[in-house]
Amino acid sequence: MKRNSKTLRTITALAIVAIVFVGFLTNLGIGTISAPGIWDISILCPLGALGTMLASKMMVPRAAVSLVIMVVLIIVFARAFCGWMCPVPLVQKLRGIFTKPAKQAKAEKPADGEPAKTSAADIAPLTEDEKAALATGCEKDSKGLAGCASCAKKRGEAVDARHFVLGGALLSTFIFGFPVFCLVCPIGLTFATILLLVNLFAQGDVTWSLIVVPAILIAEVLLFKKWCHKLCPLSAFMSLIAKLNRTFKPTIDNAKCLETAQGKKCGACGRACEEGIDPRHPELSEAAWSECTKCRSCVDACPAHAISMPLIAKKGEPVSLVENEK
Amino acid sequence: MDNTDNRTDLPEGRAGQTREAADTATAQAAAGKQAKTGGMTRRTLCLGIGGAAVMLGLGGLKLANPQAIIRPPGGQDEDRLISACIRCEKCYEICPRDVIRPAHIEDGILNMRTPTFDFSDSYCDWCTEENGGTPLCVSACPTRALELPAGATKENTIIGKAVINTDWCLAYKLIGCRFCYDACPYEAITLDDENRPVVLDNKCNGCGACESVCVSLQNGSISEGATSRAITIKPLDQVER
Repeated sequence: MKRNSKTLRTITALAIVAIVFVGFLTNLGIGTISAPGIWDISILCPLGALGTMLASKMMVPRAAVSLVIMVVLIIVFARAFCGWMCPVPLVQKLRGIFTKPAKQAKAEKPADGEPAKTSAADIAPLTEDEKAALATGCEKDSKGLAGCASCAKKRGEAVDARHFVLGGALLSTFIFGFPVFCLVCPIGLTFATILLLVNLFAQGDVTWSLIVVPAILIAEVLLFKKWCHKLCPLSAFMSLIAKLNRTFKPTIDNAKCLETAQGKKCGACGRACEEGIDPRHPELSEAAWSECTKCRSCVDACPAHAISMPLIAKKGEPVSLVENEK
Repeated sequence: MDNTDNRTDLPEGRAGQTREAADTATAQAAAGKQAKTGGMTRRTLCLGIGGAAVMLGLGGLKLANPQAIIRPPGGQDEDRLISACIRCEKCYEICPRDVIRPAHIEDGILNMRTPTFDFSDSYCDWCTEENGGTPLCVSACPTRALELPAGATKENTIIGKAVINTDWCLAYKLIGCRFCYDACPYEAITLDDENRPVVLDNKCNGCGACESVCVSLQNGSISEGATSRAITIKPLDQVER
């Protein structure tokens, strides 16, 4: 099996852009990601649904139904939207085009000489601390018990900047009476840019929006590299709901994992995670499980092919460590 | 998706940790976290408060006097449209005549990407041919930003009013053009003694049929200084009569 979900994710996100593009050229009403669907059937973005109801102070049936469906989807798939569907990572890829190749190469080299790749052979025995870490983990936390003290301050477990933006956006929406975040949402602006270009070429529609819309988009997601992790209120909303997520969780087969089966140092899964989750050593994680975008990077990175993402993980068996080889 | 970039984004720079240093780093991180207040770094707090302030500031745009623009059927209640529209672009897509277009920044910051009309190729007849007289934009709008009040008809829903610029109109140069007069489905345009079109305000609902056929801006007939067609649909509050 070829393990390249990164490419696959890029392709899915591009496919969605392509479908929306078809929508712009036809009259099927496919909609953008803000309200995808067909004809007069559509499902609303959860923030849009919340925003429109808060702003108009009305119960909008379609928005309420959409919100419920979205919450269920988030509970099942956590932040998979971020990893697989959102066009913002595609826009952020543009940064690579403008970065000088030399600069890029430098950026790829870790600052303090971390080996670029840890092969299965690159091994050192686990320390006692690490063994303890393997055994405790933070899974308890997600069930509402205190697993370990440090977990409480992980991204996604405590309130962070994104939640302020989410709160500010919803409060502002309620006070001023219009969906404030929709005005600047980078997902909406991405599709707006495409629509502006379509109209420019199809109808010769020349407007200052052609400059302003992409400029806001670039300011948000290219200059603010940390948009998704630090500012996106949609990511905040999804991470809040995803605390209930129990499905498709990266699960390590302890019989295969180099660390548990052979007592070797690896940590490839933790390094691969873009969200900062370390599936093997959750206490080293910088993010809670609710941040998982189901991107499968850890699955791909595992040299022993020990990680899978089953629909429902088996009850966690206690980790048994094989004696370290001398 | 971009691995290296995201690694450098992470605050504690875990990317830089070697496995050998990992256990000591855990201890350091734990100590470092204790120095933070409320489980949050000062930087995160500033970023969060800044972000929330920007959101509230954007909300304040509502206080600036909004510019009136013409709206598709059901969007005549401006407050309702602005409060419910999430700029999902669905109405532009569904419009079978492609007369709905997103408003641009020139139409006001708050109006940007909300629906307005572009009557350059066709006009709005409430999807009579395509959907039996129920506007598809209204039925497709997922947030009810476009919603017709009870008893709304084509005739009593006023999108805007046609306004003739007599400096640019070919008929006012006594050329005898009467395209708009012929196109009007509501008999809202009459011809005066010299066969010049005159809009009857009490009959015009702003459907755009006249604007869509006006030839004043086409090749060979450009009136001097004209920036738009001679007959255009203007929002009600811009109609001076």
